[in-house]
Amino acid sequence: MSETFTLAEATMKAIQDRRSIREFTPEPVSDHELDLILEAARQAPSGENAQPWRFIIVKDEALRKKMGAVAGGGSGRRFTAEFVTKKMQERFANLQDEAKKKAAFEKLTSGQVSAFMADAPVNIVVCGKKDVWDMPYDTSAAIENMLLMITALGLGACWVIAPCIDIRDEERIKALLGIPEEFKAVSVISVGHQTRLHRPRPRLPIKELVFTEAWGAPYYMEQA
Amino acid sequence: MNDKLIPLEYVNSLMFEMEKAFWDERGKGARFRLTTVGKEYFKSKCLPLIQSPELDHILQVIGEVLKSEGIVGKATYSRDDRMLHIRIEGCVHRKVEDRMVALGIEPFTCMPANLIVLAIEEKLDRPVELAEIKLEYGVCKLLLVLFDQRPSLV
Repeated sequence: MSETFTLAEATMKAIQDRRSIREFTPEPVSDHELDLILEAARQAPSGENAQPWRFIIVKDEALRKKMGAVAGGGSGRRFTAEFVTKKMQERFANLQDEAKKKAAFEKLTSGQVSAFMADAPVNIVVCGKKDVWDMPYDTSAAIENMLLMITALGLGACWVIAPCIDIRDEERIKALLGIPEEFKAVSVISVGHQTRLHRPRPRLPIKELVFTEAWGAPYYMEQA
Repeated sequence: MNDKLIPLEYVNSLMFEMEKAFWDERGKGARFRLTTVGKEYFKSKCLPLIQSPELDHILQVIGEVLKSEGIVGKATYSRDDRMLHIRIEGCVHRKVEDRMVALGIEPFTCMPANLIVLAIEEKLDRPVELAEIKLEYGVCKLLLVLFDQRPSLV
């Protein structure tokens, strides 16, 4: 029996159910599902209604592997740098399980944390037109719209910045996909059917996040 | 055209404000948007002098260019497996980084380091990551990590 939700409840459920999914089954994403995901992106807000987003759908396996190599290489470099300077160890200091810690270090420093995109059935490359005022924010709104639609469709996705964050990698991705100079490669959204359900990641308590009238004055009071 | 040399104080104040603006916009991500700064200078001043794809030769050439151009007083290096330790003395841009540190911001970009990274990537096709910039009295200690060759995208 299907559950019934109000619009607000359904919206919050999509928001709360979203996960960053990095393991996919070989099952393809249908054209109809892709249409809905891209329409969700198209409806995002943008400064001056500039709609600076453009999308490249990458399904070709050879191309996906090349993108995965760029993404994995970039993540591997950055996380290895974090590891050799001991910053990663500081970040994981509270993780007591040594086996889990080692596995996390391996996943990060090897670049596998991002290279997985090679195995996603679809990668949506998000590009942003530079000659507008608010492109990073506009494209981020489009991306979040896509992620929520992907969740609502029962699919999984991961927002991957690894192939674009360092200008050296972004240049390689742009050359690989023929993205023109006047556009920035912003991110890649890897989409597919997830292999398993994932638990939610912890969130900071809301009372630590919200202030009233000025910075520092808590909006949410302590419970009596 | 006015060919009078512009004051270093002016250059460094602009560099500081540009770096600070990047930091304000991107936070820790700013470092990854500045990794190719110096590319034109590298291509015109350094690349033509690099005659061999040997790491020692590459580092020697970059060090000599930096010194002869008056950008640094001295540049020395040592290797420990894939770690490359660079020691820069008397860099003309040091005051930029000192001002960042005074604001509590860890240095995140270094033009001499970028030249070395660009040279290694260009001549050896090996990715390099600038892992750390440590400032000591009159000296900048850089830690670079060298990786294996990149997979071809062709």
